[in-house]
Amino acid sequence: MKDFIDYLTRQYEAGREDIAKLESEGCQDEANFAKARTNIYDICRTVTNALADRPGAGTAAVKAQLERFRATWGAALEKAREHGDARNVVIEETKLEALEDVIAHFPEVE
Amino acid sequence: MTQENALKIFKSLSDMSRLRIVRSLTQGEMYTELLAERLDLTPSTVSFHMKKLEEAGLVVSRKEQYYTVYSLNRDVLERSLFEMASSEPEQIDEQQKREEEYRKKVIDSFFEYGKLRSIPVQRKKKQICYEVIAEHFVPGKVYSEKELDDIIAPIHEDYCTIRRDMISEGILRRDGNEYVRIK
Repeated sequence: MKDFIDYLTRQYEAGREDIAKLESEGCQDEANFAKARTNIYDICRTVTNALADRPGAGTAAVKAQLERFRATWGAALEKAREHGDARNVVIEETKLEALEDVIAHFPEVE
Repeated sequence: MTQENALKIFKSLSDMSRLRIVRSLTQGEMYTELLAERLDLTPSTVSFHMKKLEEAGLVVSRKEQYYTVYSLNRDVLERSLFEMASSEPEQIDEQQKREEEYRKKVIDSFFEYGKLRSIPVQRKKKQICYEVIAEHFVPGKVYSEKELDDIIAPIHEDYCTIRRDMISEGILRRDGNEYVRIK
């Protein structure tokens, strides 16, 4: 789990650099989307830290929570698309994209 | 052009990606996917930016089969900075403006895509939410209780409470089993 948490931390740090870069380039809206993406790594890191070593929880509980995020944010994306909510479509897509990246790295370090 | 319109234009152009989109459109009309490819952005990000540019009146769009084609609104873009900077503020009564802002804030926090998240406790907020729901009813038209409930139920599950509250708030009038919007 340590490698996985390190990965999340690296992605989080890289995300913060992206945000600063986009802000300095005058792309404020995209910087906000990058914040949404970066937050996902932070949330997943918090979830992993909280559940991974808890008795009766462990890695299966972490994975289950990530799947719950996928279902919730997937539904939010569908809803945003259905209502033509351009801003939330980008935000939910960004969150899901980051989550897929997190899930793709999960088994490698399990 | 009012000062509010000018502000929308300045705000929408104070973003590098949107400036790049406008620059691309100076070469001719384009659709979302093409702009996304040219600017290395996702199509949904381009759609988001296009919406802001459209709201500011800087671009216009038209549907062409499966695509939305965008072009610059030259009438707005060819106005001088001097003209925009010297625009007058819209003549709105300050009290009315504050009330409209409050109303918008309440609607934004209690409604999500047309559904009521929860029934507000505060009377003023509740009244605003019920006025929004009342927009689903044609004033003067007579509705049966079932018709009324069928309209309210998709907005919030507790349609009975809402129906009763709307009567006590004077938004609906009940006459036996018939209901009429009076406000």
